[in-house]
Amino acid sequence: MVTRLSAQLPAEIAVALLDTDARSLPAGTAATLQLGRAQTRGMGTGGEAALGLASAETEEAALRRLFAGVPVVVLVTGLGGGTGSGAASVVAGFAAECGATVLSFATMPFSHEGERRMRQANDATVKLGQKCHGLVVVHNDLLLQQVSPDAPLSESFAAADNWVGGALRGLASAFAPGALIAVDPAALRSLLSTPGSPTLFAFGVGEGEGAAMKAARAACDCPLAHAPGAVAKVASLFVTVAGGSAMTSTEAFEAVAAVRTRFGGETSTVLCARIEPSLGDRIEVSVLGASLPAPKAPAKPKKGAKAEDPAQPIFEFATEESMRRGLFGGTPMTFIDGQDVDVPAYIRKAVRLPPAP
Amino acid sequence: MTSKPLPSLIAVIDVGTHKTASLLGQIIDGKARMLSFSERRTDGVVKGTVTDLERLTQCVHEVVNDIERGSGRAVEQVYLSLSGPAAEGERVKGFVAVPAHDGKVTAKDVSDAIQSAKRLEPPAGRATILYMRQPTMLDNRPVSNPVGMAGKRLEVNFWRVTMEEGNMRMRVGMVNGMSIKVRDFILASHAAACATASDADKQGVLVIDMGAGTTDWILYYKEHILCAGSIPVGGEHLTNDLSVALRISRETAEDLKLRFGSAMHRENDVNQTIWKDGDKGVGDQQFNRGTITQVLSLRYQETIEFVRKDVLRRLEAIFPGHAVKLDQNMIPSGVILTGGSASLADAAEAVQVVTGLSARVGIPNFENESLRKPEYAGVVGLMTAAITDAPPPVRRPRGLLDQLKELFRL
Repeated sequence: MVTRLSAQLPAEIAVALLDTDARSLPAGTAATLQLGRAQTRGMGTGGEAALGLASAETEEAALRRLFAGVPVVVLVTGLGGGTGSGAASVVAGFAAECGATVLSFATMPFSHEGERRMRQANDATVKLGQKCHGLVVVHNDLLLQQVSPDAPLSESFAAADNWVGGALRGLASAFAPGALIAVDPAALRSLLSTPGSPTLFAFGVGEGEGAAMKAARAACDCPLAHAPGAVAKVASLFVTVAGGSAMTSTEAFEAVAAVRTRFGGETSTVLCARIEPSLGDRIEVSVLGASLPAPKAPAKPKKGAKAEDPAQPIFEFATEESMRRGLFGGTPMTFIDGQDVDVPAYIRKAVRLPPAP
Repeated sequence: MTSKPLPSLIAVIDVGTHKTASLLGQIIDGKARMLSFSERRTDGVVKGTVTDLERLTQCVHEVVNDIERGSGRAVEQVYLSLSGPAAEGERVKGFVAVPAHDGKVTAKDVSDAIQSAKRLEPPAGRATILYMRQPTMLDNRPVSNPVGMAGKRLEVNFWRVTMEEGNMRMRVGMVNGMSIKVRDFILASHAAACATASDADKQGVLVIDMGAGTTDWILYYKEHILCAGSIPVGGEHLTNDLSVALRISRETAEDLKLRFGSAMHRENDVNQTIWKDGDKGVGDQQFNRGTITQVLSLRYQETIEFVRKDVLRRLEAIFPGHAVKLDQNMIPSGVILTGGSASLADAAEAVQVVTGLSARVGIPNFENESLRKPEYAGVVGLMTAAITDAPPPVRRPRGLLDQLKELFRL
């Protein structure tokens, strides 16, 4: 996936591939770093998150070198297996300690991948959420809903690439020189600096006449933003509009207005627009948002306890738990045939619902 | 426990995930006359599992107080329903080799076989809650009363229900707290069947009791309980799916489920626009009815499919190596669907589609019309089961025949 993505990205973005499995690190396209040579001898983790974690920890020096001086790190990872589930939070932690703003895109396994991978992925989202500034969870089940039932599997994965790729392009074009309305990485940092707020992400593409509005509507309907339990409205938005040379400022602002109507952004909306001649008459809209967390009751200090417990998570994100399980969020998972049956049946069966009136 | 004579007053409590119902009846000539009834919203139970004992106890006390106040009678003992995955069932067997002197089965042989079945210890940490009799086999042939028959090998079978010891103590303690005794536990699915299935149905019927938190099922074959099970999915999951899909509150989802829901999704549901409140005023919302029936039918049919698979899995465990088929030949009465979630529109049709068996919604058979709704099958059935499972009160000196009968009844 990263190999495919790196081809679509502007040259200003440095891409690095991390894996424990030597075979999945092709030479040439991007910088690579093989994790845990000592632990796995290049064979992958066999699904063991503990092994993935140890593998990343032994490469601390190399990872810190990789992140040195990088303002924004976008970590794209697949959870459920050993490397992603174990290493992601460690890698994100090193990046954050190196001073970068860390935004993670994590894909969750399909419901049919069974209990162990789902639990491992759930645990990993919690850990990852504590280490990075923004976390967007992409459910593989949702991908299946997007394509017709008889479409080839590759099509649903292509959809995932599209969303994450769109997000990366959106972010990249915001910071890259040459943007019509440019922003600096600090804007992203301030957007994502609110601890405990779930991250909203949506992406849409429009083409031809009224491309901007089409793209905005597509972003509003983006399944990632409709993931059950995902935040409906957020306080702060970061909207990127990219289009071909024909894109007008009116179009761009209309798109932003449509997105704001849907997602909020009352406190602040950072807008970024960029001309990408290669897009032709296509317009891409990507939306990143964060909310202020619900005010929490101050914890009662216990006698003799330290003022701050270092084990306390710094950030809390809406995890898998509250994203998909709705009213059952917070209750133990119930597995039948390896599926958590508290997750709605239509999501697990990847059935696309009829459109709203 | 059941060999004690039946009292003239019977109180039953059905603790469900959504509501707790209690019924007090006076028993006249083997029939219950309702003295009082109470139901309250259950607190402290999620997905059929107790999460807050204090609040649940409070709730149980309230319904007991209600029926005592309503009838002016004091309740001393109650029958409690047992449902959900906490009550795990399995078949236990006991054998005896019939002594060779004349090759005929004696009453002692039967009691020895029963003893040997009951000597089987439940898994560590679990307590046996109840035994339900299954067909007795003489030389691998089912017989109704083997005494006096010739044969070599006598086998008795029970469906034994066990529960984690702590869980059982908790349930008993909940009632004991108000100085009331638990007279007996009754399997909720058995109760639901007693309320909705006739004796003729019990020749072969699958009763599915779909409540709010769990879906309990029980399979009768030749008048005996063959096996039973529970799926931790129920009506709350229907509501949850709808609330997730439409991003609406639990209350709105519950309301839409009842008004526009169906266990079947039909093509012309799509593009039927429905209004949440109907007044089209401020705050009213439009929904596609197709979305509602799509979401609900997927969950409903999946749950029934889980039941079907669970039935087959248990049948295969009982008859290892046999190709077991769940068809109309085996269960001529098909499926009786009951419990609160049986009231969803087209529920029976969905069961038919999934199982390939005939299906109907079971309405509890009870004198009071107000309780003749699927959601009351549990509480009504507890009363029926309490009466029919207990031996009749003894009026005359018992002869040998009566003693034998009692022996079989356990």
